[in-house]
Amino acid sequence: MHREFDAIVIGAGNGGLVAALTLQKQGKKVLLLEKGRVPGGFATSFIRGRFEFEASLHELCEYGTAENKGEVYELFENLGIAQKIHAKVVPETFAVYALKTNEFYEMPMGEEAFIAKMEEYVPGSKESMQTFFSLCREVKEALKYLNETKGHPETEVLMSKYPRFMVVAPYSLLTVLKKIGMPKKAIQILSTYWTYLGSPASKLSFCHYASMIYSYITKGPVTLENRSHEVSLTLSEEFASLGGVVKYLTGVKEILVENGEVTGVITQDNQKFLTKHIIANISPNEVYGKMIEKENVPVKAKKLVSQRTLGAQGVCVYLGLNKTKEQLGLSKYAYFVYETLDSDVEFKRMHSLYNGNLAATITDNGEDSSILCLTSLLFGNAFSREVTKENYFAIKEQLAEDLITSFEKATHVSLRDAIEEIEIATPVTFARYGGHPEGTIYGYLASGSDNLLPRVMNEEKEVYIKGLRFCGGFSSRLLGYSSTYINGRDEAMKTIGDMKNE
Amino acid sequence: MSEFKIGWNAKMDMLKFKNLGEEREKIIAEGSSKDLETIYKSNTLANLLHPKGIKVKVSKIVKETDNTKSFYLEPMSLNAMPPFMAGEYITVLVKIDNRIYKRPYSISSSPDNLSYYRITIKQEGVVSTYMLKEIAEGDILNILGPFGHFTYSKIRDQKDVLLIAGGSGITPFMSYLQSSYFLKNINSVTLLYGAKNEFELIFKKEIDAIASQNPKVKVAYILSEEKRSDYEYGFIDEEKLRRIGLENKSIFLSGPVPMYFYISETLKKLDIPNKYIRHEIFTETPENLENKQFTLTVKMLDKTITIPCQENETLITSMEKARAKTLVHCTVGICGFCRSKLLSGEVKTDNSHIRMADKEENYIHPCVTYPLSDVVIEVPIK
Repeated sequence: MHREFDAIVIGAGNGGLVAALTLQKQGKKVLLLEKGRVPGGFATSFIRGRFEFEASLHELCEYGTAENKGEVYELFENLGIAQKIHAKVVPETFAVYALKTNEFYEMPMGEEAFIAKMEEYVPGSKESMQTFFSLCREVKEALKYLNETKGHPETEVLMSKYPRFMVVAPYSLLTVLKKIGMPKKAIQILSTYWTYLGSPASKLSFCHYASMIYSYITKGPVTLENRSHEVSLTLSEEFASLGGVVKYLTGVKEILVENGEVTGVITQDNQKFLTKHIIANISPNEVYGKMIEKENVPVKAKKLVSQRTLGAQGVCVYLGLNKTKEQLGLSKYAYFVYETLDSDVEFKRMHSLYNGNLAATITDNGEDSSILCLTSLLFGNAFSREVTKENYFAIKEQLAEDLITSFEKATHVSLRDAIEEIEIATPVTFARYGGHPEGTIYGYLASGSDNLLPRVMNEEKEVYIKGLRFCGGFSSRLLGYSSTYINGRDEAMKTIGDMKNE
Repeated sequence: MSEFKIGWNAKMDMLKFKNLGEEREKIIAEGSSKDLETIYKSNTLANLLHPKGIKVKVSKIVKETDNTKSFYLEPMSLNAMPPFMAGEYITVLVKIDNRIYKRPYSISSSPDNLSYYRITIKQEGVVSTYMLKEIAEGDILNILGPFGHFTYSKIRDQKDVLLIAGGSGITPFMSYLQSSYFLKNINSVTLLYGAKNEFELIFKKEIDAIASQNPKVKVAYILSEEKRSDYEYGFIDEEKLRRIGLENKSIFLSGPVPMYFYISETLKKLDIPNKYIRHEIFTETPENLENKQFTLTVKMLDKTITIPCQENETLITSMEKARAKTLVHCTVGICGFCRSKLLSGEVKTDNSHIRMADKEENYIHPCVTYPLSDVVIEVPIK
C-alpha cells in the first residue's frame, strides 16, 4: 500500500513552503518533499567564522510594519507566523553609481520625498513623476483585482475603475515612461532596481516594475535580522506542527501521470506516494524534461518550455569585514553600481563575464564588524559558456575581484584590508544547492509575452496536466521573495479550487 | 482633457492588453515539439565538483613515520578526482565490525594533480588504528567531499604567509606547498613545523626538496622532546613568533587542540587581528563529563530508534556504536551536515556554527553534543 496525500509539494523554497502550509491550514493532508537538508532553497543562510551570511535576500518588499502592513505581512499573519519574524525597515531606497559617466544619486523613502529629490537631480521631472506614482496606484489596485478574479476580470470593471491600467498594461517600462514625458535621466534613475527583476526597461513590463517600486518607495522594504532562514524555518516548523509531512533529503525522480492526470510521485530513493495534486516549486524544464515519462509530456508543454529564456545567472560575493559601516564610511543599506544608467546598454554588457555591475547590501555585524554582499547578474549563459572544470576556481576568484574592485571604485571605500571572511557563490553553487537549469536564480527572463500579465492571464490554459501546478520563481508572478511567497499561497488556493471541482 | 494613451489611441491599447494572452499562445504554438534539453553545463559542473560520494581504490600506501601512513586514493567512479583547493578535506567512510565510521582527513597531495588524493593518517583512535593496521593496497573505500574553508584566498589573505603546523597537522600544508595557485600568489611562505622528535616529522624530505627549489619557501623545524644542534628546541612560543616576524602576515594554524589555544593566546597578546589568523577545524572536548548512561531516541525519516548514550560521548559516537546511520561529515560541529532538532532533553553542545534562527528552534549538531539526560532528536536519515 502506498501512502496517499491530498497534495504533494515538490521543493521547499519560498513558494513551496507557503503552498504547503496554506494547504495544510485548509485541513488538507500534505506531503512536502525537499531534496536538500534545510528548508528555503535560496532563502537560507550560512556561517563563516563569526559571520552568518544571508544567502540571497536583499530587501523583502510588500512587508512594511504592524502599522503599515504590506501584502506579505498579512500573508504571514494569516499563516500564523508573523509574530516570529524579526523584520527591520530599510530607511532609504537606494544609492546608485554610474562609473563611466561618473554619476551618483541617492533616493529617499516616501513618495513626496522621492519626487522632490528627483526634481532636484532632474529639473522638470516632477510632473511625470507624479503621473508615474498615480499610475502605480492604479496598476497596484488593478493587479489586485486581476488576482482576485483569477485572471478573469470583468471588462466593465476594468474600464470603469482601471482604464489607465488597461492602456499601459501591454507596454514596457521604457515605453510608458517615455510616453508620460519623463526626462531620460529620470527614467534611468527610476529604473535602478531593474536588476532586482532581471530584465531591462525596454523588455520589462511597466506594470510589474511599477508595482514593485511603488511598494519599495511607499511601504519600506525590510531586512530579516535572523536572515531569511528564519522565515523558511518558521514556515516549515509551522507546517510540521499542524501535521504536515516534510521529508528532507528526498528528491523526486518521477511525477506519475495517467491519462493526462497526475497520480503520484516516485522519490529518488524509490518511494511511491499517491496524489491527484502536485505543486512543483521547481522549473518546468526539469518537470517536463526529466520527471515525466516522455509519452506523457504534452506537446504544448514542450513548446512552452522551448520558447522561454532562462533568467539571470547570479554571482554573489559575501564579505565579512572587520570594520563597521561607519568605520568604512558606508551609510546606506543598498548600493547599485553600473557602468551607465541605461539598463538596455547594461543588459547587453551583462552578457559577458567581468562586467562589474552589482547590487550591494551592507549591514553591521555586532559592534565591530559588518557584512557586505555584492551580487551581480549574468545573462545569455555568459558564465556557462566560459567555464570549465579546469578554469572554474580562477573564474570564480576573478569574478569576485572584479566586483570588489568595482564597488571600491564607485564608493571610494577600500575593502581589501578589512576582509576577514570571503565566500563566493557562482551559478555552479546555485546549481548545486537549487538544482535549477544553469543555476539560474531568476526563473525565466521577464520579456515580451513572458512578462507578468501574459503569464497570469494564461495560467489556467497552461495547466497542461490535470493536477499539476507550478509555484515559485518559474511561476506566474516571477521571481523575488514577496512574489514567490504570495504565489505559493495563490497556487495553493487554486489547488483547493481544483479539489472542489472534482 | 486629452486622452491617456500609449499607442495610437486608448482603445487600441486596451485591445492590445486584451490580446496579451492570445499573443502568448501564438508564440507558444510556434515552439519546438522536440524532447526538451536536460543537460545544463553549470549543473553538470556542479555534479563534477561536488559528487554525492566517490568510490576510490587505495592504490598505494606509504609509511611516513613509525605511526603514520599515507594513502593514495584513485578514483573508481570518476575519471579524475574533483578539483579542490589546498587545505580542503575529505570524509572517509570506514566500516569496522559492521559499524560505519566517518572521519575527516585533510588532503595532503597537490591540487594540481587530480589523478589521486593523498591522505596521511597518524595512529590515534579506533578508526586511524584500523586504517593503519587493516587497510591494504587495492582496498576500496567510499569518500565524501572535498569540503572545507581552510584555504588560501589571494583576495582575503596577505602575500606573506606563516604556516604553523604541529605533528600530523602538517597534512593540509603539504598540499599548500604543492599548490601552484598558492605559490604563485604569495611573496613568501614560512613553515614552522613542530614535532616531538625528528622521527615524527612527517614529509621532511618532501618539504626540504620543495624549499630547496623555491626561494619563496622557508622552513623551520622545532622539536619539543629532542635537543639537537641542527634543530630548534622547545615549543612554538612568543619568542620564536616574534623572531619570525608577524607583521602583515596571514597565519594558518594546523595541529593539536592545545596548540591552537596556546598560539591563539600568544597572537592575541601580540595584537594580531583575527583577520590574519585562520585555523584548521577542530573541536574541544568538554571537561568534567562523566560516563552517566542515558537513552537517545533518534526520529529518522521513516523510523525511530532508541539506543544507549552516555554523558562523555557525543551523540554521533553513540549512534556509530549502535550501528545507526549518521549524516556526519566534519565531526567538529562546523559543516552542518548532521544538523538535527533537539525535541527533548538536556545537552551540552557547541552552537557556534548553528544559525540564529536554528538556535531558537533548538537545532544542534550531534557531533559536538553531549547528553545530560535522556535525549530525543529528529534528523532526516533514511
